[in-house]
Amino acid sequence: MNNRGEDPQIPEMKALHAQTGGAQVPLQILPSSGAGTDISPAAGPRPQKKNGLKTYAGREPAALLKDSLHILKRKDAYHVISESYYYKTEPYYTILRYELEGKKVEPSSSSVLDAYVIPICLERAASAGIPVCEWGISQAYVPLPAILYGLNYFSTTLDYFIVDDSKKAKDVIKHITNNGKYPFCYQKYAEGAEIHTCTAIFGRTVGACNTIADYAGKIYEIFRIPLVKLVFVKAGGAFLLSSLSPTRYAQLSDSERALLSAYLSNQEFL
Amino acid sequence: MSRLGIFVDRKTLSNSEQLNALIRCRDVAEELGHDVDFIFPVDICKIPKMDALFIRARTDPMNITYVAARMAKFHGIPVIDDSESIQICSDKINMYSHLMKKNVSLPRTIFLSRNDLSVEHVSHLFDEMGSPLVVKEPSTSFSLRVEKVHTVAEFFKVARRFIKMSDWIVVQQFIESKYDWRVGVLDGKLLYACKYTIPSVTFKIQASVNGHLIYCGVESVPPDCVPPPVIQLGIDAANAIGSGLYGVDIKNNNGDAYVIEVNDNPSLESGEDTCYPLVYQTIVSHLLRT
Repeated sequence: MNNRGEDPQIPEMKALHAQTGGAQVPLQILPSSGAGTDISPAAGPRPQKKNGLKTYAGREPAALLKDSLHILKRKDAYHVISESYYYKTEPYYTILRYELEGKKVEPSSSSVLDAYVIPICLERAASAGIPVCEWGISQAYVPLPAILYGLNYFSTTLDYFIVDDSKKAKDVIKHITNNGKYPFCYQKYAEGAEIHTCTAIFGRTVGACNTIADYAGKIYEIFRIPLVKLVFVKAGGAFLLSSLSPTRYAQLSDSERALLSAYLSNQEFL
Repeated sequence: MSRLGIFVDRKTLSNSEQLNALIRCRDVAEELGHDVDFIFPVDICKIPKMDALFIRARTDPMNITYVAARMAKFHGIPVIDDSESIQICSDKINMYSHLMKKNVSLPRTIFLSRNDLSVEHVSHLFDEMGSPLVVKEPSTSFSLRVEKVHTVAEFFKVARRFIKMSDWIVVQQFIESKYDWRVGVLDGKLLYACKYTIPSVTFKIQASVNGHLIYCGVESVPPDCVPPPVIQLGIDAANAIGSGLYGVDIKNNNGDAYVIEVNDNPSLESGEDTCYPLVYQTIVSHLLRT
């Protein structure tokens, strides 16, 4: 087995000779993933049912090392599993490589861009019936209280700011807009609201309530991102999606690591 | 009568020529009988009310223009630039991969990952591709992160800077030329052509020299004065990306033409279209043809 899972066709850097006017030099039409980790089907205990949820206590987790990239092939699709899918990173280029080779890959490169750009993420989620935070774009003014996200090349959805007074809002806006150079996204944050986060693994959650678990499944159907952190605002008893963001393997609970490992070792089926 | 939205971002408007070009576009659309709204980032929720959207701001998948393009797509509104073109053209790894896939003529080009940055590997590149080499950070625009390097040491100095911004960088054979052709293509057809004359103090169309910004000269060229292979190469390159509006940069060296890059959102404010008075009319009619 190669270092990216199951596919013996893909692993080597694809060297092509471009049809250029000059002498031919091997060209890489797409970069290969260099950060892959060997995922062997791990022999482990059968999952136990606990409160209706399978657990995998005692199983040695697959090699979920920092920055490692894993690829699963199921039926006709390749699934790229990574902690993050940021633009111009190894996971992003790995996805592109499959797409340019005409292979079905999940998530798609446009999906990961959509997922990490807040307004697009919320529009797509809302169109699938998931309640989302009311949002707007601004360059200076923001109705308070609010959650603020940067909307530029240097921002990430990992960084969000809850502001409830104008002084703090001014400081945060100055920071996330690089002194007013870029617009930002704000979301309404009602008095008494709370932030709830959970991790979705192939659309499944561990220990989340039914509502969140249902939303996680729907979000997976939209974006097809195997590992993602969901950020919700709980207001008036309702959960509203605020953003999707990357998550570190190290931040997964034991049960979440076990669930992800089970997928990687083919013991959970997509 | 239809309603055209022109998406602009005052933060990326850098000179009066750009402003004049926007006004000219608006005037042409109004002469054709359409209403025109300038849409700023804070007005993005107005996009669904438009019949078409023309983005005239610096595009990138990580900025507000991509949101505008995606919003237009969600609502079935014709848009230039479409989000797919922004995604491809904003990333030179993606853009060159599309051109290679269609066998479009390029300078010798390779992609290098951070793991490939070894002295042996880089020395081998100089042996194979000659000196100097051109190193590009994939998402650069206006040649901002494009550098010419002559030695392995110079290469590492530049590559270490670029690799902080992208896990992969582009390395290209250097093609000498006094000017670049810019072939404007819309929906697979020639829209305009011009020459960008490279300033003698640099190899880029725009550069900072001793703290001063140096711009290339622009000369609009009528279609019958453009070598047909250059026009065809421009169209082939644009078609490798999509069916939108593109500005294809081509170097014509000793009779061999090479695509240097394909730009979405090509500039139209510096006289590129002087010999082509119907450029805006063609774009507006294309967007609102339904």
